[in-house]
Order: sequence, then structure tokens, then C-alpha cells
Amino acid sequence: MSLFRLFLIFVKIGAILLGGGYVILPIMQSEFAEKRELVSKDELVNYFALAQSLPGIVAANMTMFIGYKLKGKTGALAAMFGVIFVPFWCIVLLASVLNIFVNNTYVTGALWGVGVAVLALILLTVREMWQRSERNLFFYFIFLVSFTALMIFKLTPIQTILIFSVLGVLIKFLQKKKEVNK
Amino acid sequence: MIYLLLIYEFFKIGLFSFGGGYATIPFLYHISEVYHWYTLNDLTNMVAIASITPGPVGINAATFAGLKTAGILGSALATTSEMLPSFILVIIVSKILKKFSENFFVKSAIETLKPISCALLLFVSAGLLKSHIADIKALILLAVLILISWKSKKDPLFYLVIAGVTGVILKLAGI
Repeated sequence: MSLFRLFLIFVKIGAILLGGGYVILPIMQSEFAEKRELVSKDELVNYFALAQSLPGIVAANMTMFIGYKLKGKTGALAAMFGVIFVPFWCIVLLASVLNIFVNNTYVTGALWGVGVAVLALILLTVREMWQRSERNLFFYFIFLVSFTALMIFKLTPIQTILIFSVLGVLIKFLQKKKEVNK
Repeated sequence: MIYLLLIYEFFKIGLFSFGGGYATIPFLYHISEVYHWYTLNDLTNMVAIASITPGPVGINAATFAGLKTAGILGSALATTSEMLPSFILVIIVSKILKKFSENFFVKSAIETLKPISCALLLFVSAGLLKSHIADIKALILLAVLILISWKSKKDPLFYLVIAGVTGVILKLAGI
């Protein structure tokens, strides 16, 4: 497969990626496993788990894993620019006309509603993450201290992540050491 | 100068956000508070539009935030800077695939990032809720959406469309 062909496949994936990045797995399974047999379905699932465990945008990670697997570093870049191609121009075009419509009844109404839905989706994301985690004393402890740090001590997101992830790894490390000593 | 700041801030988002598209919102929220490149109201619109256009929400929001801040060059820079850490990490991880996911420190870090992500997202929800708190309609709509999700799991697009249509109907009805 040529680099340009790879780019085009990812342009298509980006264009039909509606409702957030999570739908990228079924789309990729159809494009790469069913239509083309380039990557197996199981492999895609493994990459997806890995993409979720890395920092950054899950769909972007996933895109680059497959791009890299198929065509190396340039493949990863081609996939990356492919997948953001349509979304990028959609945003640029919509944003430039938004000001014209911002006082339009339909648009303000719709934006108000979608804003509320986004809040609901954020809360649902929390619930999803909450349910998928192993909720032990460690989980609740890290959650409570980082939430307090954000709300009361006004730490920035980065500060919170840096301080408490180091703390968390340290706790895990000490726990493991204690177990080994036993 | 603003371009360098944009690259720096969005590179950080790409490196530190964890847990799906909405996980970048805490950072965008922080940026609006520190630099005043856009207001909280802009942020709500940005995320709303990022959610209903194709593409990953986190990337779309970056495109929009960059555009608001420094025009089309800003949006290109914000988008690519946010994806750059992924590019680097994916290449490293692809090379050491097996060892990476079994490493003790990596596993512990991931275990720790989950509760922190929950805290970050709740923190942002609190901030967004504050801007809606005087709006009874918004609170009712929010409660209804959450209730629907309790009954059955739906596609994110479902909530966005339902809420958007509700918004238009309420406006037209003059409520």
C-alpha cells in the first residue's frame, strides 16, 4: 500500500468518526481487518487497549499505532494528518461562520442544549472510568487527595497529575516491597 | 510569542491528558483562566461544536481553541502540538511493545492516573455546572440525560442530538 493510499484511508476514518474517538475501533476493524486484512481484529483490540493506557488522545494514539505498524514513522505521520484532515477543516469553517449565526435562535438553542449534553457526557465518562477501575483504598485515597488539591488548594491539572502520580507509584512500590519482605 | 505558548500548552495537553476526549477539557479550562485567550462561554461552545463535528473531541477542541487564540496558524499549531507527544510515545512503545505494558512502574502509573482523571473531570464538571447553576432548565435537562443513561447506554451522539433539539424547541417555545 502506498503512503498516499494510507493517508486517504485515514481521511475517510476521520470523516466518519462521529460522536468522539471511541468509535475508532469498530471503524478501524471494518477498514483494516474486514475490507483489507492488513491488521487482524485481535491485534486492533490490543492496540486499542494500549492506546487507552498511553497519555494523549486515544484516537490519535490508535491512528499512529496503525500508521506506524503499516508504514513506519512516515506512515504514522501520514495517518495522523489524514485522520485530522476533515475534522480540522470542519472546525475552521464552522468557527468562522459561527459568529454570523451566534444570535440565531436555532443556533443558540442548539448550542445551549449541546453544552448541557457535554456536561452530562463528562459525568458519564467519570462514571465509566469509576466503574472500570478497581476501587480499593488506594483508588479512593488518590481520588480524594487530588480532588481536594484541585478544588481547595487550586493546583493546576498538570501539578496535580505530576504530584499525585509520583505519590501513587511510590505507594505501589512500597506496598510491593512490603509484600516481597513478607 | 503567542505561538510558542500555544505549542507549549497543547504539547502539555497531549502529554498529560488521560482518559478520552473530554479529559482535555480540564486543561482547556485552565488555559482560559490563565491566559484569557477565550472565555468560559467560548469554551462551552468550543466543546459543544467539537462534539458534534467528526473527529476526536480532544483534537477538535484543540483546533477550535487554537483558532480562537491565534487564527488558522494557531489552530494548526495547537492540533499538531497536541498530537506530537502521541507520535513520539507510540513509536517508542511500538518498539518495546510487550515489555512496556508489563513494566511495574508503567502499570502503577496507569493505576494512579485513573483516580486522578476522575478527580480532574469532576473538578471541571463543577466549574461548568457553576456557569449553569442559575439555569433551572439546564439542570433539569442534565438530570433527564443522566437518568436516560442510567436506564440504557447510548451513543454519545444520541445525547448531543437530543439535547440540541430540546434546546431549539425550548427557544422556539420561548421558555
